[in-house]
Amino acid sequence: MTSSDTVLRRPVTASPRRKQTLSRRTDVRDGLLFLAPFLLVYALFLLYPVVQSVIISGFKWDLLGAKPKFIGLDNYTHMLWGTDIQWSPGHAWVAQLIIITITLLIARSLFLRAGRRRAGAVAVAVVGLGIAFVLGFHPGPDGAWNDANFWTSLQNTLVFTLVSTPLLVGLGLGLALLLNNKRKAGGFYRAIFFLPYVLPVSAVTLIWSYMLNPDRGLIAGFLNWFGLSGIPFLSDPNLAMPSIIVTTVWWSVGFNLVLFLAGLQDVEPSLYEAASLDGAGYWKKFQHVTIPGLSHVFVLVIITQVIASFQVFGQVYIMTKGGPGTSTEVLIQHIYEAGFKNYQLGYASALSVFLFVVMAAVSAIQFRLIAKDA
Amino acid sequence: MVTVAPSAVAPDTAVPSRPIPSKDGQPPKRARSVRYHAFLIIAAGTWFLPLLWMISLALTPNDVLQTSSTSLLPTALTLDNLFNVFNAGDLLRWFLNSFVVTTVTTALTVVFCAMAGYAFARIDFPGRRALFVVVIAGLMVPREGMFIPLFLLFSGTGQQNTYDALILPRLAAPLGVFIMTQFFSKVPAEMEEAARIDGATRWRIFVSIMLPLARPAMASLAIFTFVLTWNDYLWPLVISTKTEWFTVTTGLASLQSNFAATTNLGDLMARGLVGSLPLLVVFLLFQRQLIRGITLGSGEK
Repeated sequence: MTSSDTVLRRPVTASPRRKQTLSRRTDVRDGLLFLAPFLLVYALFLLYPVVQSVIISGFKWDLLGAKPKFIGLDNYTHMLWGTDIQWSPGHAWVAQLIIITITLLIARSLFLRAGRRRAGAVAVAVVGLGIAFVLGFHPGPDGAWNDANFWTSLQNTLVFTLVSTPLLVGLGLGLALLLNNKRKAGGFYRAIFFLPYVLPVSAVTLIWSYMLNPDRGLIAGFLNWFGLSGIPFLSDPNLAMPSIIVTTVWWSVGFNLVLFLAGLQDVEPSLYEAASLDGAGYWKKFQHVTIPGLSHVFVLVIITQVIASFQVFGQVYIMTKGGPGTSTEVLIQHIYEAGFKNYQLGYASALSVFLFVVMAAVSAIQFRLIAKDA
Repeated sequence: MVTVAPSAVAPDTAVPSRPIPSKDGQPPKRARSVRYHAFLIIAAGTWFLPLLWMISLALTPNDVLQTSSTSLLPTALTLDNLFNVFNAGDLLRWFLNSFVVTTVTTALTVVFCAMAGYAFARIDFPGRRALFVVVIAGLMVPREGMFIPLFLLFSGTGQQNTYDALILPRLAAPLGVFIMTQFFSKVPAEMEEAARIDGATRWRIFVSIMLPLARPAMASLAIFTFVLTWNDYLWPLVISTKTEWFTVTTGLASLQSNFAATTNLGDLMARGLVGSLPLLVVFLLFQRQLIRGITLGSGEK
C-alpha cells in the first residue's frame, strides 16, 4: 500500500549530473506546464465548487425570482434545529446504546494495540459519545423539526449504509476466499460476479424494478409456482429499503470481490506454509494469517463502501423516488429536491456542506489508517 | 520472517480456501472438486439470473409479455424489439451523447492525469509536495455532493444542455493523478537520464519514453474512467434538462417512470440491453484492465 507520502518520498534524480543539464528554472517551468491542464480543471470544477457551496449556504438563494440574500447560519438552523427542541438522556436509547457499544469496542481495540493509536482511541470515543449525546435532542410535545425530512433522509441513508456495508464486505470477502485458488474456471466465476458492476444504474433498476414487481416480476413468477401470490416489494414501506439493498448488493459486490482477491494474492504464501508446518488447520490459518494479512484491505474496502453508500442516489431515485412516503428517501435525493424541486439552492448547499463534512471525516480516518500502515 | 520463493510453495498449501488434501477425514480430492464447482455454478447462476431474464424479455414479443412476463426463458422468440431499439424515441441521440462524453472525458482524463502524475513524480520544483497534498485532499470531496455550485457555474454561463457541461466537471479526477503519480515514481531514474544527456527536452522525454512505459497504467485508468463516465447518473440528470441532451444512463432512467402500466416491456428491456452493450463489450475485452484500475485506484498495489 502506498500513501501520498511514500509516492513523493523517493528521490527524483539518481545522479548529480542532472543538475548540469537542466536548471532549476526549467524544473519550475516544466512542472507548472505539465500540471497546468489538470490544475485548471481541478481548481475550477472541484476546489471552486467546494468554496462556493460554503458561500451559497449562507444565503437565501432561490433558483427563480428574488436576488440572493445573506442570512448567516439560518440555513443550518433550518437543517439542524426545530421548535421546542428538548434534550433528554434516554431518548432514542436503542440507537444510543448501539453507538456507545460500537464506539467503546473500537476504542478498546485501538487502545490495546501498541503504538500511537491512543490518541485515535480517545478521538473515536469522543466522537461516538458526542453522537450519542446529540441523539438525545428531540422536539417537545408542541415542537417539530424545521426539516423533518432531513432527519428521515439521514436516518434512511444511515440504515442503508449500516446494512449494505457488512453485506457487501462479507459477501465480497466470502466470494474472494472461494475464488482465490488455481482451480479451473475461477476466472469465469469471478467474471460472472463482477459483471453487474459495469452496468449503468438505470439498467440495474430496469432489471430489478421488474424482478420485484408483484404482478409481472420473475420473483412473483417463482412464488406463484409454489401457489404464493406476489409480494409488492417496492410499494411496502418495510420492504422497499431491503429491496434496494439487495439490488445494490447484486450490482456492486464485484467491486469488493476484486479488491479482496488482490489483497489475498498479496498475503505472503510462506506464512501459510509456516502455519501448516505448525499444524494449523484451515480455520486457524484463516484467523492468524488471512485476516491479519488482509487488515489494510479491510479498512480500505469498508471505508470506500461507507463513502459510496452514503452517497447512494440513482437506484433509490429511479426505483422508488424515495417512497413509499419517505421510507427510502436518502440524503442526496433530499439535496437534489431541495435544489431542483423547491428551488432553494442556499439550503441545498447547506445540506451539501453537511454531507461534505461527514465524508471528509470518514476519509480523514482512512488517510490516517493508510498512512500508518504504509 | 523467512521468505520462501513462491515457486517453492505448492499451490495447495498456499491457498487458504482449500484444506490440505492429505488431511484425515477429508473426502477425496475429486469429490470435493465436484462439490466446489457445483456450489459455485449454482451461486454464479443465481447471480446471472437477473441479466438472463432481461435478455430473455428483450427477445420476447411485447404482446406475449402483456399476458405473462414471469417466465425465465422466452415463450416466443422475436428480434423485433432489438431492431426497433433505434426506431422510436431518442435512444440513438442518447448513444451519440454518451459516446462523445465518455470518449472525450476518458481521453482528456488520461492525458491530464498522466502529465500531472509525471510532474509530481519526476520534476523537482518548489511547492510540489504542497500541491500534491492539495490534489489528494480532493479525494475527500464527495463526488455526488457538489452539484449545486456546479449547476450554478454552468447555468450561469448558459451552458446547460451542452457537451462542455457534461464533460468538464468529470475531468477534475484526483484519483487519476494519484494513480499516475504512483506509477511514474516507480520508473527507474536511469531511463530518463540517458535521454537527458542526449539533450532531449522534458516534453520529448515524456512523450517518447514515459508514456510508452505507462501504457498499462493508462489503459487501466482509461477503462475505469470509461465505465464510471458512461454510468454517471446524477450530474447528467442535473445539467441536461432537454431529452435530446440525455445520456444513455439518464435516458434509460427517464423511460422507467411508470412501470406497472408499461405495455412494451420487450422494447424497454431491449433498450436496457442495448444501452448496456458498450459496457458489456468493454467488460469482455478489458476485464483485466478494469480490475487493475480498481485496485490501483484504491491505493492497493
